[in-house]
Amino acid sequence: MGEIKRRTFLKMAGVAVPAVAAYSCADQEEAARLAASAEPVDRASVTWAKAPCRFCGTGCGVMVGVEKGRVVAVRGDEASPVNRGLLCVKGYHLPGLLYGEDRLQYPQLRNADGSFSRITWDAALDLIASKFKDTLAQHGPESVAVYGSGQWTVFDGYTALKWVKAGMRSNNIEPNARLCMASAVSGFMTQFQSDEPMGCYQDLDRGDDFVLWGNNMAEMHPVLFSRILETKRLKPATRIIDIATRRTPTTDYADMHVLFKPGTDLALANGILHLLVAQGRINTAFIDENVVFRRGIEDLKTIGYGCFGDQAEHYTFEDVPKPSSLEELTTFLADYTPEKVSEISGVPVPQIHGLAAIYGDLPRGTVSLWCMGVNQHVRGTWMNNLITDLHLITGKICRPGANPLSLTGQPSACGTAREVGTSSNRLPADMVVTNPEHRAEAERIWNVPPGTIPAKPGYHAVDMFRALKRGDIKAMWIQTTNPWVTLPNRSRFDRTPNDGKFIVVSDIYPTPTTAMADLILPAAAWVEREGVFGNTERRTQQWNKMVDPPGEAREDAWAIIQVAKRMGMGNLFPWPDDNWHEPMFEEYRRFGIGHGKDLAAYAQLKETRGMVWPVVNGKETFYRYTAGYDPYVKKAQGAHFYKAVGYGEKAAFWLRPYHPPAESPDKEYPFWLTTGRVLEHWHSGSMTRRIKQLHQAVPAAYLEMNRADAEEMGVKKGDQVKIVSRRGSLELVVEVDGRGHPPRGTVFVPFFDESKLINLVTLDAMDNISKQPDYKKCAIRIERV
Amino acid sequence: MRDSHRARVALALVSVALLAGCREAAPVAVARAIEVRAAGRAYDGAPPVIPHTLAGACVTCHDDDGSEIAGIGMAPASPHGSVAATGSFSRCRQCHVPAETSAVMVNSVFSGLPQGPWKGGRATPGAPPTIPHTLQLRENCLACHGGAASRVEIRTSHPERPRCRQCHVPESGG
Repeated sequence: MGEIKRRTFLKMAGVAVPAVAAYSCADQEEAARLAASAEPVDRASVTWAKAPCRFCGTGCGVMVGVEKGRVVAVRGDEASPVNRGLLCVKGYHLPGLLYGEDRLQYPQLRNADGSFSRITWDAALDLIASKFKDTLAQHGPESVAVYGSGQWTVFDGYTALKWVKAGMRSNNIEPNARLCMASAVSGFMTQFQSDEPMGCYQDLDRGDDFVLWGNNMAEMHPVLFSRILETKRLKPATRIIDIATRRTPTTDYADMHVLFKPGTDLALANGILHLLVAQGRINTAFIDENVVFRRGIEDLKTIGYGCFGDQAEHYTFEDVPKPSSLEELTTFLADYTPEKVSEISGVPVPQIHGLAAIYGDLPRGTVSLWCMGVNQHVRGTWMNNLITDLHLITGKICRPGANPLSLTGQPSACGTAREVGTSSNRLPADMVVTNPEHRAEAERIWNVPPGTIPAKPGYHAVDMFRALKRGDIKAMWIQTTNPWVTLPNRSRFDRTPNDGKFIVVSDIYPTPTTAMADLILPAAAWVEREGVFGNTERRTQQWNKMVDPPGEAREDAWAIIQVAKRMGMGNLFPWPDDNWHEPMFEEYRRFGIGHGKDLAAYAQLKETRGMVWPVVNGKETFYRYTAGYDPYVKKAQGAHFYKAVGYGEKAAFWLRPYHPPAESPDKEYPFWLTTGRVLEHWHSGSMTRRIKQLHQAVPAAYLEMNRADAEEMGVKKGDQVKIVSRRGSLELVVEVDGRGHPPRGTVFVPFFDESKLINLVTLDAMDNISKQPDYKKCAIRIERV
Repeated sequence: MRDSHRARVALALVSVALLAGCREAAPVAVARAIEVRAAGRAYDGAPPVIPHTLAGACVTCHDDDGSEIAGIGMAPASPHGSVAATGSFSRCRQCHVPAETSAVMVNSVFSGLPQGPWKGGRATPGAPPTIPHTLQLRENCLACHGGAASRVEIRTSHPERPRCRQCHVPESGG
């Protein structure tokens, strides 16, 4: 390196030069003050135990430090195969989520004047039991509902599912995951007839090209993104492709940034398929052996968007698949020439060729990654299908380092919402209520009479809240989620308390949702109770209770069990009060064993840093459907989609066209509004905004604008403006050239801030198949204030 | 209880001062430094927040050697290893965030694992002290223990010996 830099010299010299400025004269008073304020330090008394992070779906392992009954620190768990010791800023500040001064500690009942009074747990549980019992008796099973969460532990979700479907004989149970993962579920179900990815995080080490579809991974899945950056360091030929509607921190690390107009990713994916087929860059051997072609309903009017006209109150749609073929695909794709796709999407023709060259380079490992940009999309299922199609047609699937890998947003969206199946239409282990054999299997395991589980699906999440507003649902229990911040077009769901309905909300802090409640229950959080989460890569992770919850807070599953017992449904939960977690989990496991959804035994989960299912003979499976990895695959090599019995144990390639978004900018509302998260905050912010370091980093929501748009309007960073949509309006401070850079005509607003509710402005349009709302695209105008 | 606690703190402060060979004034400065250090971290081991406004790429100043910032002081090197060898750690703001406000939304009753002062033990007088903290994300010892950007009381007297862990070993469970 030649000459010694000045600072290096200073650094070396610094060793010998006594620091002068650092020390002033001793101040005895200050010495006394500091000595008195210093805490006693005894690190030997800190005990450390494993747990998964409480925040996103990555499922990072943390070691939790406990001293004197309180969580005092965390460390990245170096033994965790997920994160190998690294966390993100939210993970490092996990302990703070337990210690906001306003933790809910006691059950509280709303009085006639709207205020709340503390009541006992006994009184609260008696009241819930009698309200649900009376509602069932008077209005039937369709008038009760449970709205839960991808943050539910497996125990919470399983308890709620069993209580609703086998106890109350209702299908009105939904997770908030309907708002975030439903399109991924319907994507996997329509193509493989089994939910969740074939690949795992090892793909991030083994891939060559990482194609991010509408996915600001540097902020939303930072630890996984770091894993890709490490791969790029070790293998410099690695490429990161950022396909997005705005520039984000992820773009800074991308080799190629593809900017497309909101909603036109459907056209772009078809444009790539067009070139792959036209240029013969497809894997015909793989297609012949493993792929069938399907086509569904494509008529725009028939499908609609779930929120206009006769769909404004209730939305149903059933796709009708019909067989298709590679020949038909070729004809279908004639509409998607690069020139035409470029016109629709705004993506330059050479970039479309570039993307086709990446997917079409058959030996290179391509990993597609996506999350909310694709899932929160009026054609989210279609977009999930199209991304997987790119892998099916090139045979880049079931190959380590070449897989479509759908990322998840909540810590147990996979483990609880998807695997336990806490949805209006699902049962555990990929089973659905519409299938009589599946209902019979669940009734057998649950030891309830045949015919207990109704065949008709309940309300999906948005319809559930529409039904509540209409009065069709009269009693509802909301746990571990904050719908009055996170529902789209929120004001249509507002309620006036004492309206004759009964809403119970279990949470750890006061939120806009507890403000809508009739009864508030204090919940135990994270390591205040024993739990199991399942992450994005099918890893089931267990942790033990480490500290007591504050006051009288209890875990959600416990509260449901107590209510069920009071309703005469105690037979569903026949385990002793002091030891029910393990026997409950072992009962739940029975659903998946032998079906390719085998979870590890509870004892093994306790001992390991999670196990990736299917777990057969105590061994985990990193690559599903993949010969040499998955014990269910009987072939010597290649892929075998053994769950897709309906497709002859092959995967389905779906022809899916481009449809425009539900609402696009026009003269009156000339801007696109897209919403999302920031690194520092998690979802509705009820936890992260109570953590000092996270709140101070991003204290409030803001309006991210393009500089040219701001200049044209005569506003600058820090100015207050008002954004207005057809649903509502909101005042925000302008941000220009911050962490994100939207193109002209697009603005971005994060949704974590309950004092700046962007969901007053968003549109409750939905995906036709998944019933997941589209939070990413609606039209607004900006007014100066 | 309170008295013995104070005695322990005082003893620790004096020990640190003696260890560093500082003058009488050092204990106050050390304690103050610990207080300042603690203010930037939620608990011992938490990533420090960024104590300044953001100006360009972090590694411009926080490079392998640390940099002198005229009129302000030193920007320490990253303790996570060489900048050139950085893959996983190249997105600094994954873990380190600035403060845009000093306000909180709701007060917290969290009190984190205290942040020292720590002092390595010695097997015998004159033996090299053990490392009293974990090495996780602190692979580059000289980021804190060498150079003008380091605190004087924990600065090594022998930066010319580059293999720190030849003689200093981590305490188990620390």
